[in-house]
Amino acid sequence: MELADKVVGFLLSAISLTIFIYYTFWVIILPFVETDHFIHGYFLPQEFAILIPVFAGVALLCFLCVFVGYVMLKSKAKKKQT
Amino acid sequence: MKHILKIMGLLVAISAIWIGLLETSVIPRSFTWLLPVYLIVSLGCYGLLMVGVGLMLFPTCPQEAVLLQKDIREAREFLKDKGVDVGSD
Repeated sequence: MELADKVVGFLLSAISLTIFIYYTFWVIILPFVETDHFIHGYFLPQEFAILIPVFAGVALLCFLCVFVGYVMLKSKAKKKQT
Repeated sequence: MKHILKIMGLLVAISAIWIGLLETSVIPRSFTWLLPVYLIVSLGCYGLLMVGVGLMLFPTCPQEAVLLQKDIREAREFLKDKGVDVGSD
C-alpha cells in the first residue's frame, strides 16, 4: 500500500516534470532555432502548443462538471430513500 | 486577506509585463501570445509536481500504529472487565 502510493507519487512528479521540460523547449527555445534545424522534426507545429492545452482544459472542466453532477444526483437519490 | 492582495498584485504585474511585450513587440507577436498559455501549463505542472512529492514523502509512523493498537486492546480488556459490551474484533 505504502509502496504503491510512493510509486504513484513518483510517476506524477516524473510526468509533470517531463511535460514542463518538453513544453518549455517547445514554446521558449524553439522560436530561436532555425526552421530547417533537425530538432524541429521532434515537435508539432506551433499552433498545437495552444490547441492541446485548451483542449485538455476543456476536457478537464467537462469531466469535473459531469463528476459533480453525478455525485449530486447520487446524494439526492440517497436522501430520498431514507 | 493579505494573501489575496499579494496574488492580485502578482497577476497585475504579470499582465502589465505581458501587455508591454505585446505593445513593444520586442519578440515576435505569435510568440508573445503563447506566454499566458505557457504560464498556465507551468502552473498546472507545479501543482501536479507538488501533489506527487507530497504523495511520495507522505509521513507515516508505523511504531505509533503498533502503540495505538496496543492501547485499543488494553481499553477493550479494561471495559470488558467492567462489564461493558464492546463487541469483538
